[in-house]
Amino acid sequence: MGMVPVRCFSCGALVGHKWEEFERRIKAGEDAGKVLDDLGVRRYCCRSILLSHVEVIDDVLKYFIKPMGDKREREGEREEENERERE
Amino acid sequence: MQVKILSEDGNTLRFLLSGSSIPFANALRRIMLSEVPTMAIDDVVIIENTSVMYDEILAHRLGLIPLVTDLDTYVMPEECSCKSELGCSKCRVVFTLDAKAEEDVKTVYSRDLATDPSNPSIKVVNGDIPIVKLAQGQRVKLEAYARLGTGEMHAKWQPLSLCVYKFVPKISIHRTKCAGKDCGKCVEICHRKVLSLEGGALKVERLMDCTLCGDCMKACPAGAINVGYDSSSFIYTLETLGGLPNHRIVLEAAKILMNKAEDFKKSLSEFLGEGGKEGEEMKIEEKKEGKEEEGKEHEGKGKEE
Repeated sequence: MGMVPVRCFSCGALVGHKWEEFERRIKAGEDAGKVLDDLGVRRYCCRSILLSHVEVIDDVLKYFIKPMGDKREREGEREEENERERE
Repeated sequence: MQVKILSEDGNTLRFLLSGSSIPFANALRRIMLSEVPTMAIDDVVIIENTSVMYDEILAHRLGLIPLVTDLDTYVMPEECSCKSELGCSKCRVVFTLDAKAEEDVKTVYSRDLATDPSNPSIKVVNGDIPIVKLAQGQRVKLEAYARLGTGEMHAKWQPLSLCVYKFVPKISIHRTKCAGKDCGKCVEICHRKVLSLEGGALKVERLMDCTLCGDCMKACPAGAINVGYDSSSFIYTLETLGGLPNHRIVLEAAKILMNKAEDFKKSLSEFLGEGGKEGEEMKIEEKKEGKEEEGKEHEGKGKEE
C-alpha cells in the first residue's frame, strides 16, 4: 500500500487530507511540530500517524513499466516477427 | 437534568450535562460512539484496477472516507421496506470513480468520487483525501455502494472521532490559610491556567478547564487549596468527523437511549403483568433473547435510574 492512512489508527480522526500540505511544508524546512499545530492535529495519536508516515507508493510507481499498446498491436508485431522468421 | 453548551468551534463541541448520574452519562457516551448511524461506503464493485494497490486495500480506504449523512431520508438496510440484498434508493447511495493517469503520475482524491445524480446531497465530507496514486497508463474504475451503519458494526461508521466526559471540578480555597499574592505557587504550576491572583486574592478563573490533576494541591505549602469534583455533572467533549453535526449526534443518541428504555419497560411490564402458563412461556422466550440484549438492558436501566 504505502499511502498515507485516511484516518488515525487510534482515534479515527481524519488525517489523510492533511498529508500533502504537511509533506510540502516539511520539505521546505519547517518544524514538524509547528506544522502539525498549524494543521490542527492536536492529539499525539494523530500526530504520530503523519510524523512516522513514509509515502512508499512514490518509490513503487517509479518501477512501473507502461504496458505495451493493446492486444491487437502486440499480436500484429508477433505476426510481423513470424513472417520475418519464415523469410 | 440540564444541558448547557460551553463552546462550539468547528468540529468540536463542549457541553455541560448537570443533575445526571454516571450510568446515564456513560450510556449516552457509548451510544453516541457506537449506535448513531452514519453513511459509509460498504460494497465496492471493482471494474478495473491496474494500480499498484490491491483491490481490498482500495475498498478499505474508500470505506474510511466520511460521507455527509442524511438521517431523515435514509434508513438502515436491515430496517428498509425493500428487503432487498442489493438495497434501494432509500437505503443505498452509489458512487462511481473512473480515473486514469494519462501522462504523469496522478493522485486520485476523494473529490473524484462522482456522486449519485439522484442523491447529490450525499457527498464526501472532505475532497482532499488521497485515495490512490496512479503511474502513467494505470487506471481505476469502480462503483461504490454506501449505506447507513453503526460504529458497533465497523469503526468506519462511527460519527465521532472523540467523545469523552469528565466530572465538573470543584475547587475550594481556604481563605485564612492562603498567603495570597506572597505565594502564588498554585497559579504558577497549573498548566491549564485555571487559577489567578487578582488584587492579591486567589481566584478560580477558568473552572471548566481544570483537569483535576491536583498539582495545585501539592504545590500549596499551607494546604489551603482543595480540588474535588461533582460526580453528577459532566463536561462532554465531542469531535465529529463531519458526517453529522455534533448536536444532531447527541439528539440521535438520546432518542436511541429513550427507545431502549421504552423497550425495556415494555418487556418488563409484559413479563410482570402476565402470570400463569403464558408467563412461563414468555420467560423462556425472554431468556433466549436475553443473552443478546443483556448489554442493551443495562444501558436501559441507566435511564430508568
